[in-house]
Amino acid sequence: MFLTRSEYDRGVNTFSPEGRLFQVEYAIEAIKLGSTAVGIQTAEGVVLAVEKRVTSTLLEPSSIEKIMEIDQHLGCAMSGLTADSRTMIDHARVEAQNHWFTYNERIKVESVTQAVCDLALRFGESAASEEALMSRPFGVALLIAGVDEKGPQLFHTDPSGTFMRYDAKAIGSGSEGAQGELQEQYHKSMTLKEAEVLSLKVLKQVMEEKLSATNVQVAVVTPISADGTGGYRILLEEELQEIIAQLA
Amino acid sequence: MLSHATSCPVQAPVEHRFSPYTDNGGTTLAIAGDDFCVIAGDTRQSEGYNINTRYAPKVFQLSNGAVLATGGMYADAVTLMKRLEQRLEWYRHQHEKEMSCGALAQMLSTILYHKRFFPYYVWNTLGGLDEEGHGAVYSYDPVGNYEKHKWNCSGSAGHLIQPFLDNQIGFKHQLANATSLTIPQVLKITKDAFTSATERDIYTGDYLELFVVTKEGITKEKFELKKD
Repeated sequence: MFLTRSEYDRGVNTFSPEGRLFQVEYAIEAIKLGSTAVGIQTAEGVVLAVEKRVTSTLLEPSSIEKIMEIDQHLGCAMSGLTADSRTMIDHARVEAQNHWFTYNERIKVESVTQAVCDLALRFGESAASEEALMSRPFGVALLIAGVDEKGPQLFHTDPSGTFMRYDAKAIGSGSEGAQGELQEQYHKSMTLKEAEVLSLKVLKQVMEEKLSATNVQVAVVTPISADGTGGYRILLEEELQEIIAQLA
Repeated sequence: MLSHATSCPVQAPVEHRFSPYTDNGGTTLAIAGDDFCVIAGDTRQSEGYNINTRYAPKVFQLSNGAVLATGGMYADAVTLMKRLEQRLEWYRHQHEKEMSCGALAQMLSTILYHKRFFPYYVWNTLGGLDEEGHGAVYSYDPVGNYEKHKWNCSGSAGHLIQPFLDNQIGFKHQLANATSLTIPQVLKITKDAFTSATERDIYTGDYLELFVVTKEGITKEKFELKKD
């Protein structure tokens, strides 16, 4: 694929005679270079876990942010060109807030995922009157986790704007190995705690560096109870230590 | 000299009056029960001392199972209804579910407020069931201020009926303890209220349309009022 560059590689929105959009396919390839991210859905909530590539001892690990909040009940993990995700997460946040403003209810996980995917194919040339849009496809894949009236859910989006729901999903450079491991270990009756352990277990196996509390980030999204507890939350380093202790 | 005065009138600014609003009168009412909601309104449409028609329904059933009672300017109410139905359909397509009564209540408020500087001249009362299945009533002013309550009456005879409801539905100023009312009881109070209001308010009369919302669905009833 890389060696057969053709004229169809030039326009970002030009179909090849075989019916392919090369730039979109390359964008999907870009994700396979990204750091690994894992999402696991359970009946109690959803876990998101990502590896942080601490490439230098002088690098401040806490400045790497690969899991972000969309709304109180929605979180998002990413892999690929993470800078591209800012546009998408911004859009998702606006969409979630607009929904709350207009309807006084929390937006569904699927609806916010759809809203993000609506952006994915808005690239290429725009007409003079239109607002300038992205010149190329987004090079990032997202794992969108959330809880709504249908319960905890996990969605995966890619640069083609396709989204699918998963019980457990891995993206990024270690995704093949990680997905295989999830396939074997995941079961529907898993507790949230078990999912937290599994997510790090899977990351540990595919990470090049030795897994520690500083080079991973874990978030959970749980149902929001009447007293306001629950929702999206990044786990503290002490909590990560506890989980890591259970890995051995 | 005289011809000079007529051929050369005093210069004065030309004034243009713009009066886009009219009040078509009428009264609407909504009462929430434990597991039902009654929404009613008369069907007379007036303009000044004229009656345009004796049957112009101003209580509308919405596709999500709620009922909207409108008062004020009929043309604005019809336009608002069209917008609401369109938004309900968009919501259905976008979110693959029916809009809840609470969501609709908030949306109606935002729709009204978006026309803050050229409002729909409509006083709305929204009735339906909330997420727990209890009756819910929301009332609005034309710019979208809204409030949830158990009973409300607005329109040309609103000031006549509201205190009656406070007493009969809310048991205000009564020694008796408040009890839950049944659908037949609420319907009877509603019909009595409108029959009496028709005697005093010239803008209320002809027919009364009553909607009953329960979890089984919506039923509609027509009741005769005096036509004088």
